[in-house]
Amino acid sequence: MVGRINGDFRDLPDETCTAPIGSVTQAMHARDILARNGIPVTVVRNDPATTRHGCAYAISYPCEKERVIRAALRSAGIRWRGGTRI
Amino acid sequence: MIYFDNAATAFPKPEAVVRRVSDCLTSCGGNAGRGAHGGAMRAAEALYDCRATAAAFFGADSPERVVFTAGATAALNMAIKGFLKPGDHVLISDLEHNAVFRPVYALARAGKITYDVFPTYAADPDATPARILRGIEKRIRPNTRLLVCTHASNICSVTLPAQEIGALCRRHRIRFVLDAAQSAGHLPINVEAFCADAICVPGHKGLLGPQGTGMMILGRNADPEPILEGGSGVRSLDATMPPDPPERYEAGTLPLPAIAGMHAGMETVRQIGLANIRAHETALWQQLSERLRSIPGITVQAPHAKGSVLLFHSGTLSSEAVAAALDKRGISVRAGFHCAALAHRTLRTPPGGAVRVSFGVENTAAEADEFAEAVEEILSQS
Repeated sequence: MVGRINGDFRDLPDETCTAPIGSVTQAMHARDILARNGIPVTVVRNDPATTRHGCAYAISYPCEKERVIRAALRSAGIRWRGGTRI
Repeated sequence: MIYFDNAATAFPKPEAVVRRVSDCLTSCGGNAGRGAHGGAMRAAEALYDCRATAAAFFGADSPERVVFTAGATAALNMAIKGFLKPGDHVLISDLEHNAVFRPVYALARAGKITYDVFPTYAADPDATPARILRGIEKRIRPNTRLLVCTHASNICSVTLPAQEIGALCRRHRIRFVLDAAQSAGHLPINVEAFCADAICVPGHKGLLGPQGTGMMILGRNADPEPILEGGSGVRSLDATMPPDPPERYEAGTLPLPAIAGMHAGMETVRQIGLANIRAHETALWQQLSERLRSIPGITVQAPHAKGSVLLFHSGTLSSEAVAAALDKRGISVRAGFHCAALAHRTLRTPPGGAVRVSFGVENTAAEADEFAEAVEEILSQS
């Protein structure tokens, strides 16, 4: 994993990003919400070296979808902690 | 064999349940929420699928509000002890199972809380929800923080007006915990519509799953303190349990094969339909109740309440003697006090308790007839 995404990466269509969600249950719920919005994502393990609290799960998604993913998760009450380009 | 002890645990389990448990034991090579190898992720998917089904089944806000437990008793302990703080006052009904009464009594005995018992008028055919609600309101104190009650009695077919009780609790800002041990899989339950903070269900009764399973379904804003601490697979560097459900309440490895079986049981119930299950069990109740009441010396308790549980006693033989004689004929029922001293007192059953017949989806009208004939024969020989 490299630097944190702070902007809009819609112009980088082939890149993959990950965003930490929390527990595996929360990550799978996030995945289901996004699937219902037509955005397929994958649940992955977050690299423990990048987290303050230890083990967590993340979603992996095309970076260019970040804005719409963020909006969909926020409206479902799921906290957005920022995405990272792989 | 005739199995009329479904209120203790459903039997036989559906073939789909047996298959799912077996499949999971042979193919789920991993621990859900621990690691991310293929087997661990497949295990996590199986748990998540069950949570999603349960959330839809019980009207929960999201799959995260479904907490897996070792049964309804474990769920009730988690809810009761998680919501209460020293100095709180609790209300329980006079129909409670020991799964509610004992945790409340233990806290009271330790001097941490106080409690009152509200009447359900279960023996009175003219009891109304309004009368029960008045009894509750009369007992509310400034420090009343929690009301815990059964949805459906485990010794007869009396049900409590859960939705109205939940609304009353919401108006008074009192937490509401519903013991749905005998109603899950029999009656419609919706945690949000009932204004419940937690609904506690077993997986092995009306939901037709294996023993060792259950759930605490949390309301949208319910956040009891966890009473169990340990590994949760998330935020491992923290000294405290994670802040969010369900992992906040699920320390240790979950019994995935059993939970997968409970999931298959819930799907079976959904396929059959709650209304069909209820109609089937009520018809059996009606048929057997009429037959038993025609036998001299038999008293059916709370005969006004029809459902899946029928309680009776004989004027001549003890409940244990009747159950033992039935067992010799290959008929399984449960006699005694059914872990529900409060409820037996409320129904004024005789010393030695009563015989409980509890129906399930697999029972038939022919079995009910055979049962009545067996009881008649046993009593005529006594």
